[in-house]
Amino acid sequence: MRARRLFAVVLSFAVAVAVFSATRGDERAAAGPPSVGGLASDDLRPSADTDARIAALQRDVRAGRTAAAPALADAYLQKVRETGDASFYTRADTLLREALARNRFDADALVEAATLAAARHDFRGALALAQRARAAQPGTLAPLPILVDSLVELGRYGAAERALQRLVDLKPNLTAYARISYIRELYGDLPGAIDAIERAVSAGGPVPENVAYVQSLLGGLELARGRLGAARHAYDAALAAMPSYAPAAAGRARLAAAEGDLPDAIARWRRVVDRLPLPEYVIGLGETELAAGRRAAGLRDLELVRAQQKLLAGAGVNTDVELAIFEADHGSRARGVRLAHAAWSNAPSIRSADALGWALTRAGRPEAGLRWAHRALRLGTLDPSMRYHAGIAALAAGRTDEGRSQLRLAIAHGLAAQPLHLARAREALR
Amino acid sequence: MTPKISVRRALAILVAGLIACLVGPAVASAHPLGNFSINHLAEVSVSPDRVDVRYVLDQAEIPTFQERDLSDGEVLARKRAEVDKRLVLTVDGRKVALVAAGKPVLTHPAGAGGLHTTRLELPLRAMVSSPGRVELRDDTFPGRVGWHAVVPRPAAGTAVRSDVPAADPTNRLRRYPQDALSSPADVRVANLAVAPGDGTLDAPGSDRAISGGGDGEGREDVLSRAFSDAAAGKGVLLVLLLTAFAWGALHALSPGHGKAMVAAYLVGTRGTARHAVALGATVTVTHTAGVFLLGVVALGLSEYILPEDLYPWLNLISGLMVLGVGAYVLRKNVLRRRAHHHHHHHDHDHGHHHHHGPDELSWRGILAMGTAAGIIPCPSALVVLLGAVAQGEIALGMLMIVAFSVGLAATLTILGLAVVSAGRAITRLNIPAGFVTAIPALSALLIVGVGLVLTLQAVPRVA
Repeated sequence: MRARRLFAVVLSFAVAVAVFSATRGDERAAAGPPSVGGLASDDLRPSADTDARIAALQRDVRAGRTAAAPALADAYLQKVRETGDASFYTRADTLLREALARNRFDADALVEAATLAAARHDFRGALALAQRARAAQPGTLAPLPILVDSLVELGRYGAAERALQRLVDLKPNLTAYARISYIRELYGDLPGAIDAIERAVSAGGPVPENVAYVQSLLGGLELARGRLGAARHAYDAALAAMPSYAPAAAGRARLAAAEGDLPDAIARWRRVVDRLPLPEYVIGLGETELAAGRRAAGLRDLELVRAQQKLLAGAGVNTDVELAIFEADHGSRARGVRLAHAAWSNAPSIRSADALGWALTRAGRPEAGLRWAHRALRLGTLDPSMRYHAGIAALAAGRTDEGRSQLRLAIAHGLAAQPLHLARAREALR
Repeated sequence: MTPKISVRRALAILVAGLIACLVGPAVASAHPLGNFSINHLAEVSVSPDRVDVRYVLDQAEIPTFQERDLSDGEVLARKRAEVDKRLVLTVDGRKVALVAAGKPVLTHPAGAGGLHTTRLELPLRAMVSSPGRVELRDDTFPGRVGWHAVVPRPAAGTAVRSDVPAADPTNRLRRYPQDALSSPADVRVANLAVAPGDGTLDAPGSDRAISGGGDGEGREDVLSRAFSDAAAGKGVLLVLLLTAFAWGALHALSPGHGKAMVAAYLVGTRGTARHAVALGATVTVTHTAGVFLLGVVALGLSEYILPEDLYPWLNLISGLMVLGVGAYVLRKNVLRRRAHHHHHHHDHDHGHHHHHGPDELSWRGILAMGTAAGIIPCPSALVVLLGAVAQGEIALGMLMIVAFSVGLAATLTILGLAVVSAGRAITRLNIPAGFVTAIPALSALLIVGVGLVLTLQAVPRVA
C-alpha cells in the first residue's frame, strides 16, 4: 500500500518534470539565436550617448526582446564608468542573472557578467566567466579584453600577453592598445606604453568616455615620465571630451601637486571628492592636505576612508589593495597586513605583492617586506609608489645602497604627484 | 464611529509591526542608490495666488559622514544655501524668490555600517497672482549621483498641464524602485502651463487628469469602490465588511472557484454536513493566506519575484492537488467495490456497510481539497489589498480580504450542504442500487478529470 502510494507520487512528479522540461526546451528552440537582437541594438546606436542608449534598450527589453538584455547591461556598466553611480551594477547584475538563467551559454551575457565581476574585484570569477564565454562561442573576440584584464590582475602576465596578442592581431582597436600600454607600463617600458596609448587615442572609441579614459591614462604616463606639459595637455583633452570625468580631474590634482602648487592641488582634489568620494580620491585629498601642513583637515578627510571601509566590510568586500596600503600608511598596521594578505590571496598580482610588502614593512618587518617588494618589482615596474615602498623597506632592512637607488627611481618617475610620500622619501635620502 | 476607529487602530498596529519586520533588513543594508548618492525631489503645486514647493533631500551615508562635524543648524544652513542658489522658480518669465513656508524637518535615519543618513523636508512658498507659465528648475547638488525629480501636484483653483510626470514611485524618497529596467529619475526641470480650474493636473504618464486629494486611480470593482469610499471616510466598517462578504459570496459563483470539485468530492466520499462546513472553513483560511502571501510578495519581494509569475505555479499546484485527491477518492471507491463484492460471497447481511461516512483519511482529503480550491487568490482581492497598502489603510484592506474569503467559503459551503442533502434524498428514493453505488465512482472520475484539465492548462503557462 505505502509503496504503491509512494510510487504513484513519484510517477506523477516525474511526469510533471518531464512535461515541464519538454516545454522549456521548446521555448529555447523557439527563441532562436540569442545574440542577434542584442548585437543589433548595440551596433545600430554606437555613437548615441549612453543615456539614450540605455533608454532605447530598456524599451527593447520591456517589449520582450530579452536578447537585448546583455547590451543593456553593457550600457549600465558604461554608465558606471562615466558617473561612478554603482547602483547600475545592481541593475546589470539582475539583468545578467536573468539572461543566464534563460540560457547558461549566452556568450554576450557571459562577457558582460565577467566585466561586472572584474569591476567588483572578483577576478577569479571574471576569468571563469570569460572562459565560459569563449567556450560558448568559439572564435569570438568579445571575451578577450576582460580575459586579459583578469589574467593581469591574477598575476598571470605571460598568459595575459598571449591572449592580448591574439586580440591585437585580429582587432587592433582602442581596447587592445590600452591594454598593451598597461602591460608595457608594468614592465617599466614607459616610451612603449606611451606609444601604445597614443595609438589608442587615434583609434578612438564609440563614446566620449573612451577617449577621456585613454587620454587620462596618457596623462598619467606623461606625469610618470616627468613631462608635465604633455600630461596637462592629455588631461585637458580628456576633460574636453567629458567635462566632469573624475579620473582626469583627479589627474589634474596630481599634476598640480607635482608642479608644487599644493593649495591648487587640494582645491582640485576637493572638487573631485565632493562629486565622487571614492577611497582613491579621498586618500589623494587627505595626503595632499597632510603634505601641505593642514594636519587637522587631512586627518579629518582620511576618516572618510575608514567610514567607506566599514560600508565595504558590511557588504562583505574586504580585499582592496588600496585600503590595505591606506591602513599601513594611516591606520592600524596589523589590519593593513591582514587586508594585504587577503588581497594577495584574492588576486596574486604585483600590486597586491607590493601592498603586502608595504604593510609588512610598516608593521616593523622590513626584511619580509623587502622580499615581497622584490616580488612586486619582478617585471621591472617603475611605478613610483612601488619603488618608494621598496626603497623604504631596503633602508629599514639595512640595505642602504639599494634603498637610496629605489627612492631615486621613485622620485624620477612621478612620486612628486604624491607630495606626502615625496617629502618622506627626500627625508630618508638625507 | 468610535469602535470603527479603535478596530482599525489595533489592526494598524499589528500590521505596522508586520511591515516593520519586512522593512527592517532593508534599512540595515546599503543605500539602494549607492552610499554616496544625494537624492532630491521638489514637489510643486500652483494655486491662483501662490506656488508651493516641498523640497525633499535624502543624503546617503558618505555625504552625511562628510558633514559629521557640523551641527544640525549648520547642516540646515548649508542645504538652505544650496537650495537658495540652485532651486530656481520662474513665473511668466520672471524669477521669483522662494521663501520658507513652515518648519524644515531634518532627521538622521540609520544607514549601513553603523553610519547615518540625512533626510530633510523643506517647505517653500512664493506669492504670485494668477500665474500662467511656471518653471521650476532644480540644479541642486550638480554632478552627484542619485534620484533627482521635480514632481507637479494638483492644487485648488487651477488646471495645470505639466511636461513631466506627476508620479512619485519613491514615496518622497523613502523607497526606490529596484527594477532592473529603469534608471534613477533625473528630472531637473518642470514646465507647467497654468489656467484657472478646479484642481486638475494633466501630466505625461497618467491617462486622465487627476484632481487634488483623490487617489487618482479608476477601479471598476464593486469591492474596490466600496473600499475607496471607506478610505474617504464615507462608509461604516460593518457595511463595508458586509459588502466584502457579499462580493465574495457572489464571486464564488463566477467560473473557476472549485464548485464542481467541491460538490463532486462530497458526493464521491459520501460526505456529511460537517465535512461541507470544514471544506468551507479550509477555503476561507487558504484563500486569505494566499492573498496575504501574494501581498507580501508584491510588497516585500517584488525585487525578486513578480506576483504574476506566481499565478501559473499556484494553478499548477492546485491542479496537481485536485488530481491527487481525485485519484485517491477513485481508488477508495474501487477498493470499496471490491470489498463489497468480496462480502457478497460470504455475508449478505453486511451488504450495505459501505454507507458509512468518510473515514479519518478523508479529513486529509478535505484539507487538500479546500487548499486546492482556495490557494489561487482572486486577482480582485489582491488589487484591494495592494490598493489598501498604497493608501496606508492596510488594516482595513486585510480585514476586508478576510470578509471576502468568508463570503467565498459561504457559497461553497451552502453548495456542499445542498449536495450532501441531495445525496441523502437520492438514497431514500427507490433508485436502482447499481446506479446509486456508481455515483461516487463517477464523481471521483469527475474530480480526476477536472484536476487533469487544470493541470494541463497550468503547465504551458508555467513553462
